[in-house]
Amino acid sequence: MKSNSPTVRILVIAVLVLLSIAYLMPIYVMVITSLKSLEEVNRANYLVPSTNPQWSNYVEVLLGSPSFRSQMMPRLLNSTIISVSVTALAAFFGSLGGYYLSRSRTLIARLLFILIGIALYLPYQVVIIPLSILMSRTGMNQSYGGLIFSYLILNVPLASVLMGTFFLGIPRELEEAAHVDGASRVQTFFRIIAPISMPAYASVAIIIFTQVWNEFFLALTLATRNTQTVQVVMAEAKGTTLVLYNLQMAAALVAIALPMLLFLFLGRYFVRGILAGALKG
Amino acid sequence: MFKALQAAYPDIEVAENPNPGGGGVNQRVVLQSRIAAGDYPDTFQTLGGAELKNYVDSGVLEPLDDLWTELDYASVIPGPLANAVTIDGHPYVVPLNMHIQNILYYNMAVFDELSIEPPTTFAELLAACEAITTARTDMVCLGLGSKEKWGDAFVFDSILLENGGPEYYVNLFKGGVDLSTDEVYRTSLEQFQQLVPYINTDHSSLTWDQAVGLVGSGGAAMTLMGTWAIGAFTKGSNWEPGVDFGAVTFPQSPERILLFHPDAYGMTVQAPHPEATMDWLRVVATPELQIPTDVTQGGLFARTDIDPMEFPYPIRQELQTYVSENPDKLILDQHGSILPAAAQPAYWDIISAFLVEPDVDSAVEATASLMDTFGVAEESAWYSWP
Amino acid sequence: MHVHASLPDFGCKKSSAEVDKAMAVIDTKTQEKKLAVSAQRQERRQSITDILIFLVPLLFFVILLYGTLFWTVYVSFTNWRTIAPNYELTGFRWYNFLINQPRFEVDIVNNLKWLILGVVPTVVIAIFLAYFLELTPFPKVEAYIRTLILYPVAMSFIVTGTVWSWMYEPQRGVINTALRSIGIDSGFRFATNPGTATYWLILIFIWQYLGFSVIITQSSFRTTELQELIEAATMDGASRLRTLFSVIIPNIRAGLLVLVSLLLISTLKVFDIVFIVTNGGPGISTDVLALNMWVTTFQQHLVSAGAGIGVIIFLMAFILVIPYTIYAFRKWFE
Repeated sequence: MKSNSPTVRILVIAVLVLLSIAYLMPIYVMVITSLKSLEEVNRANYLVPSTNPQWSNYVEVLLGSPSFRSQMMPRLLNSTIISVSVTALAAFFGSLGGYYLSRSRTLIARLLFILIGIALYLPYQVVIIPLSILMSRTGMNQSYGGLIFSYLILNVPLASVLMGTFFLGIPRELEEAAHVDGASRVQTFFRIIAPISMPAYASVAIIIFTQVWNEFFLALTLATRNTQTVQVVMAEAKGTTLVLYNLQMAAALVAIALPMLLFLFLGRYFVRGILAGALKG
Repeated sequence: MFKALQAAYPDIEVAENPNPGGGGVNQRVVLQSRIAAGDYPDTFQTLGGAELKNYVDSGVLEPLDDLWTELDYASVIPGPLANAVTIDGHPYVVPLNMHIQNILYYNMAVFDELSIEPPTTFAELLAACEAITTARTDMVCLGLGSKEKWGDAFVFDSILLENGGPEYYVNLFKGGVDLSTDEVYRTSLEQFQQLVPYINTDHSSLTWDQAVGLVGSGGAAMTLMGTWAIGAFTKGSNWEPGVDFGAVTFPQSPERILLFHPDAYGMTVQAPHPEATMDWLRVVATPELQIPTDVTQGGLFARTDIDPMEFPYPIRQELQTYVSENPDKLILDQHGSILPAAAQPAYWDIISAFLVEPDVDSAVEATASLMDTFGVAEESAWYSWP
Repeated sequence: MHVHASLPDFGCKKSSAEVDKAMAVIDTKTQEKKLAVSAQRQERRQSITDILIFLVPLLFFVILLYGTLFWTVYVSFTNWRTIAPNYELTGFRWYNFLINQPRFEVDIVNNLKWLILGVVPTVVIAIFLAYFLELTPFPKVEAYIRTLILYPVAMSFIVTGTVWSWMYEPQRGVINTALRSIGIDSGFRFATNPGTATYWLILIFIWQYLGFSVIITQSSFRTTELQELIEAATMDGASRLRTLFSVIIPNIRAGLLVLVSLLLISTLKVFDIVFIVTNGGPGISTDVLALNMWVTTFQQHLVSAGAGIGVIIFLMAFILVIPYTIYAFRKWFE
């Protein structure tokens, strides 16, 4: 469908310029601000780069200081642990459930599908208090376990639908052949189906990872000092004390770095993942 | 803050509760979820007033009568402060400071240049604004940050206080004023409306500290904010109190009243470590803790027997001295409030909506209806002043 | 079951060897049958175990999820109005309270604005942009634009919100400063103008979700049938625009339906952008249901009322999602 007409060429330039401004400006502002001192943030306008770039802001944010008491480093670790665990477990359990949904025609499967379809759109504010009650009653709220478990509740249904969509596209002949050879369903799944579904796993992984990494309110409610995630830390600068915008932007860039990097390298899987869920489902 | 605890009781370990936002709204979310879940911390920071009453009504805090008698705390803190943390005759927390709400900070250079005295009444404020905006077209008179919505209520409070006096102020927030016939409320709203041209038009997108920054960058001449703004000036704009900016409490007529709220700690009923918590509370009441904490955090000392000269600058030295000599001039403010916690955000909505679109009649009506819906008369009955 | 002893005596005098042989054959047959039956049972047991392995984790989490929903519905009918839980039922009291809240009316209007203006422009722009990307003869440009508009997905709302409030600040904000520097003294008040603030907030939403929408739309273009149809149309001499409207759009209905549903739900749940950029202000002009729920539950401590708002949000989402769920259901189980 490629077209070489002059109209298109002009449009290309126009669109390029427009979109670049719209999407690069915010990043530019973030980077600029992260290198300023607090006075400069308050005094000068947001477009002007700092006259004295404070690279130390990043050090301060990563290692902490009297004015920025929560260092990012341990929080980066926390966020990573939590996000990776949830991603791995959700992908795993989700693929199991998705496989069931894609192969079974029983009433249970149909019912489950409908229930999940609706629950995907549950606003998460609805679940904060009941989840924290649940976490507290089971004693899980003092560890990573509580957060991980809560995120699983929210993400396994999503993962199952995404994986299930992919499995729908795998012809049943594969499983039938394996069955004839005497393999059980479980063996078939793990030895045959899963390995060829790696792209699907990758897509689901990226989607869930970014969602969990970016999630704030649940993390805020269920985190203890030791298990705080990077998002919670960034919000720490707000409240009735002074907001250190320069440090907050530095922290923000640090917090974005990981998903962005993942995104740049595995971005095409994200895209494929959305496609799979979007079209077949 | 915890250094004092370490000094007095070196064997107690402090597991700091997650406290993002320095006691702001975020912390309350966490706290509420945990309490709803039955997972009580040993202690937590609260603001006194209606916020405290909420916890007391929910049966979350232990009464601290014995502790107060042991420390004889009531005799070293101002009466109204003790009242603010005493519900139905029992104190429930140990306050460690007082934050004063109604302080008018002003740009000293501009005031000197135009030979204006810092205003202490509404009329003076208007006059000053007139003078400033005529002389300096680049500067807005009153810097306001209303994004968190209570900023507007601060300004309105001061106007109410001047027009009605302290008894009226207290009575209003106790739901005792018949708004359909009351003149003071109306007049105050009208005066608030007169102030609008002198306030920065982008106030709804600024937080309180950005408004302070506005003054510090020369965009505004004054701002009405609490004692915590001092830190914002020094750290955020590198301004020195008494040199770059001055402060007066506002208004000072009919009498000089300070609107305040305390920070305080209590003990929960299901505290896992009651002994250690009690020790902590004892430390909170001591000068050893209050001096370093309050000096850095920006409030006044709760104890009146601490030397005001512990503060580095005259602004708070003066305030502390005033409080010691006139302890009954303290009334609860918008944060540790008289209004019940359920009514407060709704009240702030009314005031901030008014500021954006001034309609005196509908604001009066809305406030009257608010008093009704939230049963203010009943819920605020616990508070008495002086 | 072992066929035992007494074979009826037919009076045939078979030799005992032959009888033994016959017995042996019968024995083998029953052995086989026995094996077959027990193998069947084992298989059934095995497939039940299999099914459970696949089903149970998912079922477990879905039940928990619905548990929280039912809890919320229940609480919305109780009288929980302070920090401590109160599970005593009081009927519709708090729903009544909500309806009379001045904020609530504003919320409904705002949420409707979000629903319509968050979805329609996004989809329209996405379609045009996706088509444009298809037409672009420069592959590098296509890749660049795709990455460019997709990165906001990796940004959390605090960051997006904070940066955009700086973009929008009337005096010192990025947009107005930039405009001023090229000579335009823009009087835009963006999010501080109560009449238009919501629209500027919606713009942020569109900015953030455009990339996602373009990807979905573009992928819908890539089916082989559609490609053939486009070939045919171009050969017939149809203009590019004509092709877009007559050929492409009718045939990507599936993808569009998905996109629209996803966007509808996201706008309904919107909280973060409003919370950070305007906090419902100026006044209450940009308040939305989700923000209302936040304030009601955590600042006013009226947990039952907050739960009620949650139920209302969920019901709205439920109604909006039904068409898509039915469509998806049919597709899935056909």
